Amino acid sequence: MKDLTVRLDALDPQAGAALRVIAYFDELVAHGAGLQAIVRAAAVLGAAPAGLVDEARRVRVRVGPDGVPGEPLASPDPAWPRASVGSGGGVLWLERAGQARPVDAMILERAGAAVTAVLDRTRGRASADAASVETLLDPAAAPQARAVAARRLRLPERGRLRAVAFHGGRPGVLKEGEAVPEGMRAGIGTAGPLAELPASWESARLALRLTAGGGPDDPGPRVVAADEAGGLLVLARAVTAETPRVPDVGALDRAALAAPWMLATLDAVAAASSHRAAATALLIHHSTLQERVTQAEKLLGWPLGTAAGRLRLSLALALRRLHQTP
Amino acid sequence: MPHVETSPVGPPPPFDPELVPVLKVINEVVPPDAFADLAKARETAAAKAAAGPGLAEFARDGAFTVEERRVPGPEGAPDVALLLCLPTGAVEPFPLLYHAHGGGMILGDYTVGLPDALDLAQEVGGGVVSVEYRLAPETPHPGPVEDCYAGLVWTAEHAEELGADPSRIVVGGGSAGGGLAAALALLARDRGGPSLAGQLLLCPMLDDRNDTPSAVQMAGLGVWDRTSNHAGWTALLGDARGTEDVSPYAAPARATDLANLPPAFVDVGSAETFRDEDVAYATGIWRAGGQAELHVWPGGFHGFDLMAPHTALAREARAARARWLRRLLGG
Repeated sequence: MKDLTVRLDALDPQAGAALRVIAYFDELVAHGAGLQAIVRAAAVLGAAPAGLVDEARRVRVRVGPDGVPGEPLASPDPAWPRASVGSGGGVLWLERAGQARPVDAMILERAGAAVTAVLDRTRGRASADAASVETLLDPAAAPQARAVAARRLRLPERGRLRAVAFHGGRPGVLKEGEAVPEGMRAGIGTAGPLAELPASWESARLALRLTAGGGPDDPGPRVVAADEAGGLLVLARAVTAETPRVPDVGALDRAALAAPWMLATLDAVAAASSHRAAATALLIHHSTLQERVTQAEKLLGWPLGTAAGRLRLSLALALRRLHQTP
Repeated sequence: MPHVETSPVGPPPPFDPELVPVLKVINEVVPPDAFADLAKARETAAAKAAAGPGLAEFARDGAFTVEERRVPGPEGAPDVALLLCLPTGAVEPFPLLYHAHGGGMILGDYTVGLPDALDLAQEVGGGVVSVEYRLAPETPHPGPVEDCYAGLVWTAEHAEELGADPSRIVVGGGSAGGGLAAALALLARDRGGPSLAGQLLLCPMLDDRNDTPSAVQMAGLGVWDRTSNHAGWTALLGDARGTEDVSPYAAPARATDLANLPPAFVDVGSAETFRDEDVAYATGIWRAGGQAELHVWPGGFHGFDLMAPHTALAREARAARARWLRRLLGG
């Protein structure tokens, strides 16, 4: 393949090489090449290792510039050029050390489009994976069906697993040491053996209700682990659509209307060990925070300078989230 | 069930998806019928050779000691050049791959295909002797194969002096080199020559008749199609090509006796001219009571392993050769 790389370099880097790259990946897609063949083409044409990760589909591919498959990486180095692929937050990258080559961007764009096309074509398999996950989380599933589903998903039959509830309703399963893909909003269930995934799933869904969007209208953690939520899980289980709102939640909603900074400020105050720490987290001056706290206390009707007041605030914030996602 | 010869020949089998874009690039420089224009094909090959590795690179950072030797050629013919690539510092007698290069009998030199031969040799701690034979049409049959045979006889006679094990010499090559290697095994048997441990026939060029179903199917496609094949065989055999008057030492597919040959490894792509003649050769060896391992790589074009070495199919093809060689020489 050295020949081909040399030819690419020799071509006019603006027009010729780009055309060659486009034609190359078009041919691969037209003839039904698989994911590894596409990633390999990116590595060979780019003369650098190439990687692909799509955690939602459990795809991890990495190929060297000589075409030899290597040890897959969980995520690319931030300095490497990359492209988003598919609908599940997949990433394709070139492990380019130093100066980028003019064709890098074109390779990533075309290889990324080809990978997305293959992922779309093989969506049947993705839905089969979804069915397997469903089996694992179903308390009524027979042990045999559970074992088959675990094998299909390449999960260890022994070892600790966690169910994941992604925002939007999609379920997932994490192996020991695996994390939720960066940026996803999700509740993580308790860890346990394969047979206990249904219970883990229940706790994951409760934990998801304790997560927040993370923006100024909905401040808070985007990922909550059931193992670390403590008594809040009991609260989450208790609060349903029928549970009446305590006046503190209404007070929060009213306060939120008073100023755009209100909820983020209250969330920081509840989470921080002191007002000074909260000011630092919000990147505002201590005196500004003090003014905001004074205004908030007036609107809420209880003090925030005491431990009891901050606990009351924390519970009100948690209840507000739970009422939003009953 | 009709006999296979009487069934109609269908459309060409598809190329492997990963090979398609590589073949497109190759065909821009080397169209399927490129070798019908010998002068142009030689020009292209010479340009490629000039850009290729120098002799020093074959030493592979000192793993091999590289040396050219001129040894006696066939009777009344000039000396033959052999490129010796022997493992540096071997303490035990090592196996030898006696290598004949490809190039359709009409082009190439002893460095063509040598990197892959060295890869294989390194798998078994062996060395490579690559022969520079005279080319057709300037030197028609039997010149090329007799050059190869003279070099083989010298190599076997001097194996111990080179540090090699004379009982573990394997003849091998790709394309025309595969055909020459098959012919060397026939010659060695018939003349009571060197005893060979095996024959490594990589997509070998075996049949001057050029009329198998695969030759017909793949006309105008891939690398080295029926038109190129016609040009190569005509260069070697002249007007005798395709007649009753062709020696099995020129075209091993003509051999009527395939008994008592060394174990063979035969591989070929399903989408190339040589598919059917290569499968038939392996079948002939089995029928005669011999041993052969046959691989038909689905969707492979001629020389895909050399020209698209990064692909999954090429890597599997190379791995299969290495496994065969280790099994053959390991015992």
